[in-house]
Amino acid sequence: MYHMPVDVIATFNVQGRIKPNYIRLEDEEHILRTYKIEKILYSREENYAGISALLFCCNILRGECMQMINLKYHIKTHQWVLVKEN
Amino acid sequence: MDNLIFHIDVNSAFLSWEAVYRRHILGETTDLREIPSAVGGDIKKRHGIILAKSAPAKRYGIRTGDTISDAKNLCPQLVLVPPHYDLYDTCSKAFMEILREYSSRVEQYSVDEAFCDMTGTISIYGSAVVAANMIKDRIYNELGFTVNIGISTNKLLAKMASDFKKPNLVHTLFPEEIEMKMWKLPVEELFYVGHATKRKLHALGIHTIGELAKTDLNILRAHFKKYGEIIYAFANGIDLSVVAEEAAPNKGYGNSTTIAFDVDDEQVAKIVLLSLAETVCTRLRADSVMATVVAVRMVTHEFHHTSHQRTLLTATNTTNEIHKVACKLFDEMWDGTPLRKLGIHTSKIVSGDSLRQMNLFDMDRYEKFSKLDLAVDRIRDRYGVDSIMRAIFLNKHIYHMSGGIPPEKRKVKNKEGII
Repeated sequence: MYHMPVDVIATFNVQGRIKPNYIRLEDEEHILRTYKIEKILYSREENYAGISALLFCCNILRGECMQMINLKYHIKTHQWVLVKEN
Repeated sequence: MDNLIFHIDVNSAFLSWEAVYRRHILGETTDLREIPSAVGGDIKKRHGIILAKSAPAKRYGIRTGDTISDAKNLCPQLVLVPPHYDLYDTCSKAFMEILREYSSRVEQYSVDEAFCDMTGTISIYGSAVVAANMIKDRIYNELGFTVNIGISTNKLLAKMASDFKKPNLVHTLFPEEIEMKMWKLPVEELFYVGHATKRKLHALGIHTIGELAKTDLNILRAHFKKYGEIIYAFANGIDLSVVAEEAAPNKGYGNSTTIAFDVDDEQVAKIVLLSLAETVCTRLRADSVMATVVAVRMVTHEFHHTSHQRTLLTATNTTNEIHKVACKLFDEMWDGTPLRKLGIHTSKIVSGDSLRQMNLFDMDRYEKFSKLDLAVDRIRDRYGVDSIMRAIFLNKHIYHMSGGIPPEKRKVKNKEGII
């Protein structure tokens, strides 16, 4: 029911630009799966309730299927969450 | 050029902020603003009042300040969430930061309200209503909560305007609109008119702000003295105060605590007073000021309020000294009735570098105590408030620094979701 905290491998370039590359999460069978982020469609800064975050809309490959997900990086707590779609 | 003042007020601030956090940061699907909900204290610890409520909760007749049990009676399905003051701080800061982008003169009036002096900004942001709508929408888009903006030529009228119809609206109340928009309102809606004044005004046959504005000033002076002149000016839309960027220095420092049990033991009450003195004096020392007047306030288990105060020979901010005075005041005032709430309030604040006047009757070693206090403050600064405490608080149910916001009400814990 909530945004789900997830493990992420990301790269930071010399200008401080952040790019998530892989995410890892538990699937329905309780096995840890790693997915490569194929493409970042767009990203934007958010500041809801004064809490800064970066939102990344990206594509991952699940089997044969390309899936769009939203990842959020909380700048203060350094946490990544998988945004729950309503 | 006429002055142009905006008053910006967050709609049900604590509830809105709580809702935005749950919706956008935690990812909850339910929006607290759309269901009967309220932010309230902790019933178990008897801090049971409603601090903010949603619009649907308001429709059930729930008012801010109601006890939680009263609110639950009015609306059994009311969703109650505990307060988180650290979150409100973050929201408030982000809110003020946006306002400061539009005007160099911003006065933070409270955690969720501010005045902006927008005089002369017409060439930058367009006319007043356009500019206000732009600011209002930007706050909603970026921070996720709604505000009301009142526009006028002085602070009082702007504040009255922001209170008209909520939420998420801009209203004007220019001097030429006073008669039409403000005079028809009941007199208790006027800023500065509280419950007691309302009753006195009703007794004089004054029920609306318009009636107050047209009353002979001499009558008001006779009944209310100087205060009569103020409310008369306000009713006529006159307010000469300016938008003050810097907060005025505190006139007093006080803390109080509602105790989880009724206190009927003198020793226990004095320990509570010590924990309050500790908090108040830490704040005095942090601002490098000293207090000359100490007051003790108490509320009995039957909600009877009493207070008693004394002027000291010399100003102080030493915990032991304030505690000693508080205990004396307590002894003179208390008749043994069980107590639910105790408070210490200090006033007549003087700057801390004023020299201490020695006198013959100071028998205690205050200099050593004040050095000790400073050392304790530094330890707490570095290692946290709980890193050092007086041994008397060991194995007691009383927190060693009472009053203010307890640590558990500051941060949001994940398990506190509503779903």
